[in-house]
This record gives sequence, C-alpha cells and structure tokens, in this order.
Amino acid sequence: MPLDPITAQVIQNRLSGIVQEMQTNIFRTGYSTIVRESQDASCMILDANGDVVGEHVILPLHIAALPEVIRAIYKAYGDRIYPGDAFITNHPYISGVTHSIDMAVAVPVFVGEKLVAFCTSIAHKSDLGGMVPGTGSGNARELFQEGIQYPPVKFTDRGQVIPEVEAILRANSRTPDVILGDIRGQVGTARLGEERLLDMVSRYGLETVLETFADLQDKTEKRVRRVVSGWKDGVFEAEAWVDNDGIQLDRPILYHVRIEKTGDRIMFDFSESADQTLGPLNVRPPLVRGCCYYAMVAMIDPELPNNGGLARVVETRFRRGSVLDPLFPAPTNTYMASATAVTEAVLQAMNGLIPKKKVAGMGGVGGMVIGGQRHDGSSYVQYELIGAAYGARSGKDGASGVSVLLDNAKTAPIEVIETEFPARVRRFELITDSGGAGEYRGGLAARREYDILAPKAQLTLRGGKHTQPPFGTDGGKPGRLGVCIINPGQENEQSLPSRFGGVVLQKGDVLLLEKAGGGGLGPPKERNWDALVEDVLDGYVSFEAAVSDYGADPDRLREILFDWTGGE
Amino acid sequence: MNNETGVRRLRVGVDTGGTFTDFVILDEERGTLDVFKVPSTRPDQADGIIGGLAEFLASSGDSASAVTFFCHGTTVGTNAILEGNGARTGLVVTEGFRGVYEVGEQARGAGSIIYDLFFDKPPRLVPGRLTEEVRERVGSAGEVLLDLDEESVRKAIRQLVRHGVESVAVCFLFSFKHPEHEEEVRRLFKEIAPNMNVSISSEIAPEIREYYRMSTTVVNAYLNPLLELYVKSLDDRLRQLGVGTDQRYIIRSNGGVASFDTARGRSVQTILSGPAAGVVTAQHVAESTDLANLVTFDMGGTSTDVALVKEGEAVRRMGGKVHNLDVLVPMLDIHTVAAGGGTIAWVDEMGALQVGPRSAGSDPGPACYGKGGTEPTVTDANVVLGVLSVAQPLAGGALELDRQAAERVISERIAKPLGLSVTAAARGIVEIVNVKMQEAIKVVSSNRGYDLRDFYLFAFGGAGPLHASQIAEEMGMKGVVIPPYPGVTSALGLLLSDVRHDYVFADLKDLDEVKPSYVASVLSKLRGDGMRQLEEEGFAPNRCHFVWGVDLRYIGQGYQLTVPLPDIPKAIEDLHQLRRRFDEAHLQLTGHFAPEERVEVVNYRVTAIASVPRAPLAVPLPEDASLELAHVGDTEVFFQDAMEKVPMYQRSRLAAGMEVAGPAIIIQNDSTTVLGPGQAGVVDGWGYLRVESRR
Repeated sequence: MPLDPITAQVIQNRLSGIVQEMQTNIFRTGYSTIVRESQDASCMILDANGDVVGEHVILPLHIAALPEVIRAIYKAYGDRIYPGDAFITNHPYISGVTHSIDMAVAVPVFVGEKLVAFCTSIAHKSDLGGMVPGTGSGNARELFQEGIQYPPVKFTDRGQVIPEVEAILRANSRTPDVILGDIRGQVGTARLGEERLLDMVSRYGLETVLETFADLQDKTEKRVRRVVSGWKDGVFEAEAWVDNDGIQLDRPILYHVRIEKTGDRIMFDFSESADQTLGPLNVRPPLVRGCCYYAMVAMIDPELPNNGGLARVVETRFRRGSVLDPLFPAPTNTYMASATAVTEAVLQAMNGLIPKKKVAGMGGVGGMVIGGQRHDGSSYVQYELIGAAYGARSGKDGASGVSVLLDNAKTAPIEVIETEFPARVRRFELITDSGGAGEYRGGLAARREYDILAPKAQLTLRGGKHTQPPFGTDGGKPGRLGVCIINPGQENEQSLPSRFGGVVLQKGDVLLLEKAGGGGLGPPKERNWDALVEDVLDGYVSFEAAVSDYGADPDRLREILFDWTGGE
Repeated sequence: MNNETGVRRLRVGVDTGGTFTDFVILDEERGTLDVFKVPSTRPDQADGIIGGLAEFLASSGDSASAVTFFCHGTTVGTNAILEGNGARTGLVVTEGFRGVYEVGEQARGAGSIIYDLFFDKPPRLVPGRLTEEVRERVGSAGEVLLDLDEESVRKAIRQLVRHGVESVAVCFLFSFKHPEHEEEVRRLFKEIAPNMNVSISSEIAPEIREYYRMSTTVVNAYLNPLLELYVKSLDDRLRQLGVGTDQRYIIRSNGGVASFDTARGRSVQTILSGPAAGVVTAQHVAESTDLANLVTFDMGGTSTDVALVKEGEAVRRMGGKVHNLDVLVPMLDIHTVAAGGGTIAWVDEMGALQVGPRSAGSDPGPACYGKGGTEPTVTDANVVLGVLSVAQPLAGGALELDRQAAERVISERIAKPLGLSVTAAARGIVEIVNVKMQEAIKVVSSNRGYDLRDFYLFAFGGAGPLHASQIAEEMGMKGVVIPPYPGVTSALGLLLSDVRHDYVFADLKDLDEVKPSYVASVLSKLRGDGMRQLEEEGFAPNRCHFVWGVDLRYIGQGYQLTVPLPDIPKAIEDLHQLRRRFDEAHLQLTGHFAPEERVEVVNYRVTAIASVPRAPLAVPLPEDASLELAHVGDTEVFFQDAMEKVPMYQRSRLAAGMEVAGPAIIIQNDSTTVLGPGQAGVVDGWGYLRVESRR
C-alpha cells in the first residue's frame, strides 16, 4: 500500500516534535553551564543507515557530524549492536565529530530484532583533558594535545553501564562529575527519544514509519534536484580568508570553492584551499559538507528539511593534506573560524547560480576568554562572544550586533560580568561606520571596552577579520575591520591580531575589542536618501562618511541635522 | 428575587477578544449568571463594552448603579504591539551603553531562522535617534562611580521633547541597586516636560541583566500612553453610564487583577491580559474540585493558548518573550500557537498537506461562513466531517454555515490535488492541526517535566471542545473537562481573580554571606510596599495576604529558581533550610542537584494578594431531565472510515450525573463538544462535562 500523504505528514510533524522534546530535555537535565546556559548541544534522529530524518536546528554543523558517527559505530561494532546499548565518541577523525570537546552519544532503536533508527546528540563538554582547562587550546599542534580521544565505545551495553568506561572518562577530565552528569543526561535524552519513537511505531506500524523515513528524504532530494535543475549550468568560484591559524600570525589562510553545476547535480570542489595548518584551524570533510548543506538550505528555503535527501545531492571533492581534509593527527579544535569562512565562500560562489539572493561578507565571529585570579586568589574564566553583523543582502541592509551563519551565541550581560568577574565594562555600542557602505548597508558590529581590575589575567582571542575585511559586493564597500587593542591611545598601546592565546593583562589595563562589520551591497551613491538620513540620525553612519562614501550633499545634510537637534 | 431595596448587585466581567467581546454578569444575591457576546469594536474597544453593558441593563431593567464590581480583560496592549502603533518612545541610557538595547540577546533563536540569510532582528521599539545617553555610572555593589550629570540630562530631555517623544524609558546600569539616578531623571522630566510619560527600570523590572530590564521598561513606555487613554476613556464612560463603583479592575499577565489606576502606569504587565483570565478560571476549578491538574486549551479562530495548572496552582514564569519582545515581569506560563479554526490548509509544491500558518481570520473567515472565503480552513473541515452541524450555527445564531462551500474548497484545493476523497482530506486537515495542538501542549507539560497522564485537558474557546477529546485521548491524558460556558470561560475568570501585585528586590549575593535578619528586613520592606498599595486600593488588612519567595541558583548558573518561604520572614532562623528546599526544587525540575556547590541569592520576591468575592463555580442544572429529553436529533459524522449517524444532545438539558456515550455531539449556544467512539461524557455536580475514554 502506498504511503498516504496525510499519515506521512503527521509522522513528520511528530518526528520533529520528538526531536524538540529531546532538545528541551537535554537542556533541562544538562549539568554543565555550557549545555544548560549556552545551549551548545543538538539532538537528532537518524535512520538505520545513519541518515538524518529528524532535526531541530540550533547548531547546524552537528547535523553533518552525526551520520559519520553512526558509520563509525557500524565499522567498529558490525552486528554487535544490541537493544539497550549507548555509544559515545568524540573523535574528529574516526567518527567525524566536530572537535574533541564535543561528545556524541548514539542509542540504537530496535523494534523486535530489527535495528530501525538511532537517537543521538552532540553536546559540548566542560573538560576532557588536554593542554588547558576546557580542553581546546589555540596552541595545540596535534590532536593528542586536544584532550583524550574516544573512538566509538559502548557507554552502556544492553542496558548495563560499563564501569571501566566511566572510570576512564573520569580519570581524563578536570571536571569528572560534570562530564559524567552531562553524558548521562545525553543517554537519558536519547532513551526518551527511543521511547517516543517506539510509541509512534506501535501506533502507525513499523512499515509505515520506515516508509516515511525514506519518503522524507526522497521528497527532499527530489525537491532539491528540481531546484538545482532550474539553476543555470556552469562553474562558479569564490574564496574566503581567515587572518591566521593562531600560531603563524602573519599568514592568512585561503579557503577556495569551485562549484560545478550540471543538470540536477552540484559538486563543491575544495581542492584549491590552503594546506593544513600547524595550529588547530583544520576542519574535517564531513563538517565542510555540513557547511554546504547550510548554504543549500539557506539559498533554497530556510524551511527545507536538512536531512539525508539533501546529503545525497551534495557532492564534494577535497585534497588530502589541505586545511579542509587534514591528515591525522592535525589539530582541529578551533575549526569554527574555518567552517564560517567555507560557508561564506560557498554562499558567494552560489550567488553565481542565484544572483537574486546575494549576501555581502559577514562580520567577524569568535570569542574572547580572560582567565586569571581575583584578589582573593580564586581563579575565574570570563568567556564572551560578542556580536558581529550580517553583510547587506539583496534589497536589504545587514542586521547589526547579531550572531551570524553557523554561530548562535547569546551576549553576556554587563551586570553579570561585573558582578562575577574583576572587570568593568567601559562601553558597549554599535560601531559607527562599521557597516560597509552600499545601496544596502552592511550590518554594524559591536564594540566593548573593559577596565581590567584583576591583579593579573591572560587574554585569548579566537576572532577574525582583523586583516581580511568582510567583502562588499556589486559596488558595495567592505565592512570595517575588527581590532583588539590594549590601552588604546596611551603610550603603552598594543595592537593585537585576531587569533592568539595567553597575552598578559595587568590591573589598570584597558582592553578594546571591536568586531568587524558586514560588507555593503550595491553602489553607496544609490542608497535611498531617507534611509541614509535615518542612518546618520541613528548614529550608524557619520556625517563625514555620508558625504565621502555616499556622496551626500553636505549642506543639505547639515541642515537636516541642525533641524533635528536644534543646533544643540 | 431582588433584595430588600429592590436593587440587584451585579458583578461584571468583560473580556475583549479580536472578534467578540464576552460578558459574564453575576447576580450576587441569587448567584445566577448572564452570559452573552457582542462584536468587538475598533479602534476603541470601550465602544463595544459600554454598548453591550448598556444594552444588557436596558433589557434586564437594572440600573447602572447595580454594578458593584467591574473587571476587564483587554487586548489593547497586545494589539498595539502586533500593529506597531504604540507611543513615540524615547530611551535614556548610561553614556557609552546604547548597544545594550540595539544588540539585545544577539542570538537568533532556533530552527529555520538559523538558515535565513535574510534574517532581521525583531524591530526595536525605540530607534537610535530617539536614544539619549547621559553621564552617570553605578557599580556592581550599587556604589556611584560617576555622579549623575544634570546638564547632560537636561540636554537629553530637551532633545526628546524636541523630537516629539510622548513617552520615555529610563534604564541605567545597576539601577536596581541604586535607583536614585533614574528617579532624579524622572524628577527633571517632571520639571522640564511635565506631560511626558516616564517609565524607570528600577520600578518596572528591578532585576539584574540590563538588556531584559531595559526592554521591559521600553515596552512599558511604548504602551503606557495608549493604555492610559483607553482606561481613562473606559473609566469616564462607565461613570457616564452610571456605574459608580470604585471596584474597577483589569486583569494582568500574572493572572491577578489591578485597579484601573494601578494598571495604567504598568502597562507592560497587561500584555497577556486577554489569555490570562481563562487560566484563572481553570485554576479556580482545580482549587475547588477534585480536578487538581489541568492543561488549559483555549482554541479560537486564529490562535490557541495553552497553560498548565498543577495541584490547583497555575504555573507562572518570571519573564520571557511575548510577541517577540523580551519582558521581565511575572506572568502565567501561557504558550500560544498560531493555529485555530480559521487556519488555512494547503498543498505544498512537494504534494504534502500543510495546515497554517496563514489564517482566514474572521473576515472573510472560513469558506463555510459564506463571506467570500475561498481557502479551506480547519472549520471547513469540521463542517465537512459533520461535527460542526449546519443546523447548529456558531456564536448564538450569528452565522449560518454553508456546507456546500466548505466541501467545494476542500475538494478543489486539497482532495483533488492529493487524490483523496473530500472526507479523507477533511479528516487529514483535522489530524494535522491536532498534531500541532499536541506539540503545543507538550511545550507546557512534558517538555517541563510534567506527566500528561495526570492531567485533564480543560477545553474552551469556540473551537476547543471540538478538538479536545481526540487530542486528549491520543496524548494519554486522563480526559477532557468542558466548562458550562466554553465560549465565555475567559470572561468568567474575571470574576474569580484576586488582586495581585508582585514585588522584587535584586541583590546578588552568596547565600552563605546573607544574614537571616537581612532577608527578613528586605522581605518586610517589600511587604510594606504591597500593604500600602492594597490599602490605597481600599482593601482592609484582613483581606490581604502575602506570598514570599527567594530566587536562588548555583553559583555560575544562568537561571534561578524561586523557592517559596512558608512563613513570614521573621521565622527564617536557619537559611540552610532554604538551601535544602532549593536543592529539592532543582532536583524535581531538572532531575539533578548539587548539594556540595555554593548557592547564591538573586532576587527577593513578595506577592501581595487581596481576595475579592468570587463567582460561584457551580451552575444551575436541570433537575427534571433525561437523556431522551436532551437528545435533540441525529447527525451524520465522519470519525474513522465512513459517515455514521450519531446522536446530538443539548448541553443545557443534561443534569448532574448523566452519562452520554460516544460517538455523540453535544451542542450549546457558544460551542460544540465532540465525543469520539469509545468515549463517554458525564456532567459533574458543578455542571462541568468530563469526557473520558471507556476503552
């Protein structure tokens, strides 16, 4: 009997409901602050082949990692997979996990003897060993410095926890209770998904559910191929840069993509990207494929299910030994900057296919860590992700002060920072003129400035776009570069690159951090006059830039400004 | 029977919704209720209220002075937010910190929005050009780092006045620890621009986390002038009508009511005024009957509100997103999903049946309304399936349903493209919308750790009883409860609600460093504020009571839990007890706890409550009744495989203890209840219809 369209739709809705329930559960029961507060965790349901059938996106790259995890489990265990098992792995090479501080958990779902699905999650851990607390060091030169590596191993075997595995996990973390609590939370969440999935099977029948799994992916593949067929054939190239790998500070890293589109096929060739890096900027091919999925969904329809059907359409090519296909054991813990650059390059190349969905360069992403001692000797880690900006889009300005693309971090409240850490924020504002000028202006990035009150502290930055500006497009100007300066305007002023670790800060130092703004789109002189005037009044564009970049008539603008303020 | 003076005493509840304004009028002596609906009016909702009340008084022969109590649920705030027509609002911030409001949360949320290259933040209610910075700075301990510079304030005021701003939000860093700077700014506004409506954050949301406090204050400023105008107009016209009572209230998002005067300066607290009253009704039912655990299910034309009542207490939250705005005020934990009777079904490009999110609204409405609707809606599907009978029109005879029109649109738009029969397509539409409802119910229940098997679904609103029995059965809930007047259940809540004011004092400190005497003094001060407020509203102390709580969290954690204090704070001899209760609450909510970790106090909370006489819960039921008398006819309904003949019963003819076996349809003026095969409905002693599975 063919699958009826209503049952298929009902099952699809339920599947996404189950994943959302898993997602809520993992945040609710998560032990570490990273899982609970930063919500750095994703849940997913995959079919028995390891293809995604149910997802609810928070962090899009996790979607690409989990199919690799399932393949690795099959490779390691073959048919020794049983009901009640739970697998863990964090290995970027063997299991395709994002980086080793992320732990994947997978629980097989059986109906009778038949393995029908996997309920899975990936969640960031507080510490799994390695060179520094928190495991990921910008100075790592090989995988072994990035914490202990777990290939797929059973955490529970047929319902029984394996004490030896717990003991190994415990012995290799600076925060053993927290990570075990989190892993148990992940297993519990997967079991919840299993229970809900089995309810669904008993209600609709196994055959119908499995047919729906296949149907969902077939539908997505069919839809994507149909859309791809509608694009013109051809070859489209683009590139993006990351300032440096955190170790060789003066060497920018190239990410190159060449898209070959023929009929309903699309190939993303990354062979011309830079060689693998000494520092941990490398990223493994499954995640680069995840960047392609991201770009395809973004370009086709944000509502498009990112499932195994899309994965079938995306063809990729890599060069062994490159930054996007590094050789074991090259380090990978700061892969996010590479993933973002790849995504930008892919989106830009795809503009050749879909000219009406253009996006200029995005502002700089990445975090800042200040670690040190308070006056009472207790140590603290202040971790912040400061808002970047969207590049201008076709017909639309870029959004300001916001997480972009693969990143989705919340801002840290100033009142919480000052209450908990020996730091005072001097200013927090969007940076005037940081959005690239254009008919459509790039989004503005944010500026934060701090007084360091701790006796001594160390600063680590995992930023970007201090030397490689967000590009403008169609005549738009690039976004303003980011900066990091200690003691700006003073004799001991020190300007820092976008990626480094362990710079010493003293009490009384001022730290200025400015993210890069988004690129502009279209010639600035074409910008709508009213929009330009509003930008000047809102403080987004300065009077000077309005005149020099946008060609505003200075007298007319001055008059408007005078009227607005009454000359005050 | 009138009392000795011959004048009745009437308590009036009026709930204004998008389409109808619902009235519930209680005769205090006799305990009888009059319920009716009139069309809502725009732009002034007061027109419909005054018109409806005047008409009622004229026909009942009561004088307006008979009204002793008036309570109102309004959508003025919600509408202003949705339509973007609040006041021209300005913002005054600490110099150097305009980014707080412009950046906001920074994160985008979850789901498809993450892929949206054309994503925009929800628009800010105050643009940068109407944001003024003034020189001042307070530190994390409440210490003044930089004195307030009066000249910069005066300049800011001059500019905002010049720009035609009607209302201003003032929010400085750490003002919840040191409100003096914000208060001084308000004083200067009063001096320079006495007509300016000024909201200060240390009063509106005195809690840590500057963005949320600022956003809340801005929403308050944005809504204040409108709400003040509306309340004043309503107040004046009630007086003109001759309604003289001082007991005039508006229900707020926390489910408590506030006097007109109190409500209007704190407009941000009324944004959930509309849906709050229905939850209050459910809470009252849960308190007063054996139905202690309820999930409310208020399904209307374009949206559905769900909330949870556990052991007689509605679940509240201390803040959250309402219409995409961040507000930090206590509110009932109401989850809204954009689907209802008017939601449109369609076939997408991949040949999948989709329901929503677009809605036909009330104009043109579903095709079966015969007002020009050309797209199939959930209501049309219910007409095709026979559960909404043409013979029993909606809303007290206001509409005649056109079955052919419903069949036509479902056939053309859904059945033919999918190769299904019209009934199968209609069944599919209902199935899919029911799944959406189930997902919404999960958000407030199983997703928060509650087990649905312990809960009844409390269904009301025009469409709630139509869908509830199938939804509850599929989710394994205990059953369904349909109140006596599903269409005016919200309005009834207005006669059941207490006066409720929430007070909060934020002071982040390690619990080990907090002295019990300090806790006692903080809570006593808040209690004093509450007592004064209630006294001003005319409540005798013996009608007031207080609920105390402290927000605690593990150090480093981002979220806090409110731990209630059972006694007056003087009794806190031992803070370790508080600590233990926090660990227990944490365990219950999250499944784990950490007794060895340090805990800190975030906020102190007091809720001041004055009870008002409530409407009786029970409704008069016929004494002389039988199923035969109630059986008013039969109708054809599609449940599983084919149309089948099912009996129709008149709700008002069902007496206590009577059991109706499903499949059956129970009709009444303002709603239709469906009992599926294998279900049975019993009228309880209060007049509530309980539907349970007999399988």
